[in-house]
Amino acid sequence: MKTNRMATQVKESAPIDDRMLDAMIGQTRPRIERAMKLLRRPQARVGVISSPLGRLLIAESDRGLAAIHFLFIDGAERTLAMLRKKFDLIENEASARRIGAEIDRVFEGDFSAMAHPVDLSLVESDFQRRAYASLRKVPPGAVITYHGLAATVGQPDSQRAIGNTMASNPVPIFVPCHRVIRSDGTIGNYGGGVDNKIKLLRAEGFEVGRDLRLPSRAVMGHRRTGIFCRPDCSAARRADPAKMLIFADAKCAGHAGLRACKLCKPA
Amino acid sequence: MPTFSLKLPPPFEEAVKSMEREIMRFLMRSTGDREDAMDLFQETWLRAYRSYPRLQSEDGLRPWIFRIASNLCRNRARDRMRRGRVIANETADGAMPADNAPNHLNGGPEGALHLKRAISRLPGKQGQALMMRKFAGLEYTEIGVALNCSAESARASVYQALKKLRLDE
Repeated sequence: MKTNRMATQVKESAPIDDRMLDAMIGQTRPRIERAMKLLRRPQARVGVISSPLGRLLIAESDRGLAAIHFLFIDGAERTLAMLRKKFDLIENEASARRIGAEIDRVFEGDFSAMAHPVDLSLVESDFQRRAYASLRKVPPGAVITYHGLAATVGQPDSQRAIGNTMASNPVPIFVPCHRVIRSDGTIGNYGGGVDNKIKLLRAEGFEVGRDLRLPSRAVMGHRRTGIFCRPDCSAARRADPAKMLIFADAKCAGHAGLRACKLCKPA
Repeated sequence: MPTFSLKLPPPFEEAVKSMEREIMRFLMRSTGDREDAMDLFQETWLRAYRSYPRLQSEDGLRPWIFRIASNLCRNRARDRMRRGRVIANETADGAMPADNAPNHLNGGPEGALHLKRAISRLPGKQGQALMMRKFAGLEYTEIGVALNCSAESARASVYQALKKLRLDE
């Protein structure tokens, strides 16, 4: 074809050989490197592990855990797509296994194992960041209600927003959204399946019954006064919900450094 | 439900490494200027890195990056034209510089120069499509992806471009 011939002619009359291209690429390289320093996304290591809670997809950046996804639930691709917007992903099973080992230790009774820092880069809203930060202050062996958590964020009527926030938690288990329950004492829902919520709560000392309610031995602890009461104690009912945690039993509350109320004598 | 197996796309640098020369060659042919080509290469690279996470499948990588490069070429050509107009107005000349290229296609550098000019006079999409087909050797389907049109439309653009070049002859 004639144009093919003409194209060849152009190529031959003004040849661009590979050496010239390489030289040009070499010259642009330092400029690209400089610009990339500003643009480059941080790295995150991604891996898949098996755990007592099922198979998990785990992503960890240099700042901490960026995402955990329960693989028996759809949407792993969406999680990866979200991660790719914020991070350059590299596959690294070893990193994921280290996190997996921490989860295993929790199931062996070592609650301090879950102290890994988290990287909330995937969280866009300030309200959600505050909610996750205040949720991380709820210790293992204690739970808080959606209403209570909303109050700690300064918006006591936003329990529904808290519910949505927990549902979109990018780092479940480590940002312990399994420690948030309903105000009526039932354990509520969980993004990783209610079974896993029960497993995690049981591992942390909450013997959740078949009726999916908190154990009858549960006590209410006041974070500011350091006193724990029976749920029906008049002092507990008057207290600010933002300050109240629910402990599995008097022993758990004692471990957390609280003392028994002298009115209702829960111990 | 099928079991999930982790399959990450390759890191950006690794993915585009093999296309560096091809892109630079395309830019060099499109702009005809070494400095412009290097500028646009850098911009193509940075733009591609920025939007790499939005690329759905690696299969589309080649046309996708050519699309970025050709968009940048088009933007630059448009900016040049605007700037040219401003200068023309300022000098109150009103007329564009006369094109005194010989109006015949023969062998040798003159014919090549004429072809280059003829290509630069083609409408943007036709010129881009022709460059991708004849100089970069892309498939019509790839050109279609790069120019955001169907493969058929890409083929038609190349055809129209060729027809005009022949009329120019």
